[in-house]
Amino acid sequence: MVNSNKWGMVVDIDRCTGCQGCVVACQAENNIPINLEEHFNQRRAIQWIRIERYWEGEYPDVKARFIPIMCQHCGNAPCEPVCPVYATYHNDEGMNVQVYNRCIGTRFCANGCPYHIRFFNFWEPEWPESLKNQLNPDVTVRSRGIMEKCSFCVQRIQRSTREADRDGVDLEDGDRGLNPACVNACATNSIIFGNFNDPNSEVSKIKEREMKEGGRGYGLLENLGTDPNVIYLKKVDESVEVGHGH
Amino acid sequence: MVTDPGNRVIESYVETDNSAEARKAVSDGILNIHKVTSNRFWQFAALFGIMFVLGLIGFVMRLSSGFDDKAAWGYYVALFAFLMTTSSAAPMVAIAPRIANSHWRRPISRAAEIWTLAGCLNLLIYIPLIWLLPSLENGRRSLWFYGQQKAQDMDSCWVFCWGGGVPAYSPHIWATLAILGLVVLGFALLWLSILPDLAVLRDHGEGWQKKWGRKLALGWRGTSAQWNWQYHRMGVVGAFYFMMLVFVHFFISVEFLMVHVPGWIDSLYPITHAHNALQGGVATVMLTMFFLRKFGGYKDYIGLDQFWGLGKLLLALSLLWFWFWFSSFMVLWYGKKPSEQAVLELLVKGPYLYLFITIFLLVFILPWFTMIWNPVRRSVWGPPILAGSILVGTLLDRIRLYVGAWDVAEKSEMMHSMMHMEMEEVPGTIPSLGIADAFVIVGFIAGSVLIFMLATRLIPAINIWERKEMLLYKAEVQFHRTKVMVMGKPR
Amino acid sequence: MQEHTQLSNKQINDDLLKDILTVPKWWLPAVAFLSLIVLTGLGAFFFMMYHGLGVTGLNRPVMWGFFIANFVFWIGISHAGIMISAILRLTQAEWRRPITRAAEVMTVFSLIAALHTPLMHVGRPWRVLYWIFPYDFSRGIWPNIRSPFVWDPSAVGTYLIASSLFVFVCLIPDLAILRDRVKNPIGKKIYSQLALGFRGTPRQWKLQIIAGILLSALVLPVFVSVHSIVSWDFAVLIGVEGWRSTIFAPYFIIGAIHSGVSAVAMLMALSVWLYGLDKYIKPDHFDAIARLLIVVATTWFFFFFLEWVYALYTLESPEIALRELQAFEWPYGPLFAIFVITSFVIPVPMWLFKRVRRSAALMFWTTILVNIGMWLERFLIVIPGLLRRTHMTFDWGTYHPSIIEILIVVETFAFVCLGMLLFAKVLPLIPLFDIKEGMVNRRLIKVGRRVVPATIREGLPHHYYENKH
Repeated sequence: MVNSNKWGMVVDIDRCTGCQGCVVACQAENNIPINLEEHFNQRRAIQWIRIERYWEGEYPDVKARFIPIMCQHCGNAPCEPVCPVYATYHNDEGMNVQVYNRCIGTRFCANGCPYHIRFFNFWEPEWPESLKNQLNPDVTVRSRGIMEKCSFCVQRIQRSTREADRDGVDLEDGDRGLNPACVNACATNSIIFGNFNDPNSEVSKIKEREMKEGGRGYGLLENLGTDPNVIYLKKVDESVEVGHGH
Repeated sequence: MVTDPGNRVIESYVETDNSAEARKAVSDGILNIHKVTSNRFWQFAALFGIMFVLGLIGFVMRLSSGFDDKAAWGYYVALFAFLMTTSSAAPMVAIAPRIANSHWRRPISRAAEIWTLAGCLNLLIYIPLIWLLPSLENGRRSLWFYGQQKAQDMDSCWVFCWGGGVPAYSPHIWATLAILGLVVLGFALLWLSILPDLAVLRDHGEGWQKKWGRKLALGWRGTSAQWNWQYHRMGVVGAFYFMMLVFVHFFISVEFLMVHVPGWIDSLYPITHAHNALQGGVATVMLTMFFLRKFGGYKDYIGLDQFWGLGKLLLALSLLWFWFWFSSFMVLWYGKKPSEQAVLELLVKGPYLYLFITIFLLVFILPWFTMIWNPVRRSVWGPPILAGSILVGTLLDRIRLYVGAWDVAEKSEMMHSMMHMEMEEVPGTIPSLGIADAFVIVGFIAGSVLIFMLATRLIPAINIWERKEMLLYKAEVQFHRTKVMVMGKPR
Repeated sequence: MQEHTQLSNKQINDDLLKDILTVPKWWLPAVAFLSLIVLTGLGAFFFMMYHGLGVTGLNRPVMWGFFIANFVFWIGISHAGIMISAILRLTQAEWRRPITRAAEVMTVFSLIAALHTPLMHVGRPWRVLYWIFPYDFSRGIWPNIRSPFVWDPSAVGTYLIASSLFVFVCLIPDLAILRDRVKNPIGKKIYSQLALGFRGTPRQWKLQIIAGILLSALVLPVFVSVHSIVSWDFAVLIGVEGWRSTIFAPYFIIGAIHSGVSAVAMLMALSVWLYGLDKYIKPDHFDAIARLLIVVATTWFFFFFLEWVYALYTLESPEIALRELQAFEWPYGPLFAIFVITSFVIPVPMWLFKRVRRSAALMFWTTILVNIGMWLERFLIVIPGLLRRTHMTFDWGTYHPSIIEILIVVETFAFVCLGMLLFAKVLPLIPLFDIKEGMVNRRLIKVGRRVVPATIREGLPHHYYENKH
């Protein structure tokens, strides 16, 4: 049992096929409002994890690159100091937490986030009567005017922690009850979730292996100094010559 | 006819005493003091002369160490920046209040203008720096975009240039032109200002003063046309001097300071640097005023009004110092971006921490907390003490910035893009002050003061024609139970 | 001032009080019209509160739009009051006398208009009290003082209180005159209470003047800090590349002075036209304010130029993309061109000519242009910055303001105008005692063959000026 946890993820872009299974799973798990076409047109669709698609190359050698982006739970989060009412703060398990009932919706945090992973409820979310039964009772249903974002399925972490304490066992790395919904849903195992403070966890081993010189690991927009808790693994693609990076 | 709000006629006009005797009394008074040079003056001049020679020795020692090691030249550049911050900015005390029609400037504007002569020393000090500025070929960071472009395609060594390998857009050319322009404008300002006084010297002076006056006064007779010409020119040259000063400081702060520190992208800094110059200039004139009053024999001319006026200005400028510093600091500190944090580590929190605290106390805390009290501000001794504190603080500040910057010059990683440039590592200690550097600092400051002192032997240190102008505008009248001063404010 | 009419106390009283004691014909229709606009705006706000912020044009990534641009604009305008009142009072400039009160009152109303916007633009306005009061006393959760949004209410609130105090202290002698002149018993009672028993004794005058000077000096640091804090709402965010500029604090302040002083010039022209106060606000006053504006506008333009140079200095792709959007793409390109032309290129060269400076009409139209340009400037800082934020081009956005946002913005303008009109009905817009002081202190000096105006200087005791020739 480690003294304190530091939850994080590794996302292997080489494996991601852009199937959006993680997006759907997240929506189901976290009571995310249903995004209609008009919401996408208004650019107000809420997707706590989204697949960004970038095109590379000229016809006929065009390639699509997918990168799943969710809240990076930054160690040095730019969204945290700017909230006037402390609705977002860093908890002691290394996660950036959003407190819905405190949020008054100034959207300052959304401007601070360089990854654009914070979402605002512009409208009052509505579900058709039949779909109300599928709402997850462990997750708050947010009203309009509140910011929300990926929470690493904190309700699942909390439930697993409670059950492990009750049963007197340690939390198991890779336990499907502990993993966020997106991790469980991914068909190609692109996303791995775990505890960076546990040297035996999968994510720690990958970090050890890939984050050194010559490895595939990097943090998104590293130079901004946000210290993200999500490590991305570069795509292995011998055929495409990559130009000078950013 | 002037009536008071009760519709009673009070008086027609206030008469001012602008007779020929009054005017002659003004010029005689000043010339009498100007003619006398005490022994103590020559003793101090000799002392400063010796210090200046020491400075030259230090300069030669510094030259002999060559141009390769930038960090070694840090103190030298700091001194150059200090002189540009103090003596080059001193004329602003003459220019700005003239535009605002403030009468308290009259006794001190000449002293402020004489400081422009020290500009030629600045120009000489600048010359070695031309070799020290990094060239464009190895992709130096610069406000001139070509330099960055070179950084981005480091494989191509082709440089568009003419002549001896110096391109037309090279910062070296523009820096030289700017500083040269400033010196020339300063000389022009001074000469325009002393023209009528040279005529006075020519007509009422004796011996060599008469000859000197006749040569330079260019047949000044004091006709309306000549006065108009002079006013107009002084206004124009003054405005250009100000603009050139801002430009020079913009230049120095970018090319001599910011480009050397990887990751220091601070859009406010040119303004901060120019403001520090204004503050330094006012402090310089304040000290000059004090010495002229105490040792120059001008006690009756430089009075409380001058110290009070400049004191208010110094107070406001000290407060502004804090504001400019804090504006830069807040933005760089809050975001916690690693490259910016490294810059703050270098200049504020790291090896220069104690120096920075000292500077903060000397330049902001001490002046502000003492000069908000009226008894301190409205005194003859108060503002000069604070001016001294500000000057010491400014020297230390230039040392902190320039020595620090040149210490990390050209030591950066991730050269491929400006935004991602970060220092390799923040140095742990301040480069030590060598003998050559100490000589240079002491010597060239003494040299500037020496130039000023010698100039006051040739040029009267109080502006004679401006004081005569005062006779036109100032009168004392009875107001109810006291006497007050009535000041005319023509356009 | 070179031109001057020496007026008697009685005449000053009559002129400046006539619009309080009687109602001008145009006043009621104007107030009705403005009230209608204000009510419509408030209606729009309630509509927005009921349906959610979806009725605006905001989206991800443009989370702030018209409301915040408007907020910054009104904070900017509010800086004029202090500039004119405090700084000109401390430097003893004579030409400030007719315009100080109008400027200060405009400050107060524009601050209230500015404070509308943060209250209106949040997602849950009914919970806004959390912003200022602790949410949970028992758990000790206080507002987050690291947040610029907590410094904002502190600074703007301090500024509002200081400005209101300033207006009040300078109103006291005029309230006393009104108390003595008004016939309506209710009005008389109110004016008596507000006048605090001012009788014009030497001690009372001394206290009033000292209070005015103290407030002038104390409010200057507030003046500098308010807009700096508002600018740090933007500059502290690393997530928006276009806002990461240390020059933001002084840039916003000088922009505020530019737009604020222009607004005061507009007010001056309106006072002359609507209230017929041309004996008090002379072409000389317009000339003086225009000269100030030339210096301010040029300094502002230099800061604007510096901001752009440093943005391009880094040659970093998000920054370049942002500047390209601002300067070249529809609709921001044309708006940018309009902004530069109206805030500097047209007005400033015009102000170089004496004829323009001395004409109330030309000053009015040029300053309206300036304010149009400065509103656009605020818009061009806030929105394009949010549209082109970081390297992640997938998230670059678009923004179209909705009718609700436009209505609320218009409401703030109407609110300020309404406030000024209501104020002018109840209290004199030109400070009577200041004008009378100017008359009393005035002298003429004969210089050669010309006679120039002169003033009695407040200053040091007599013997300090004695110089031996």
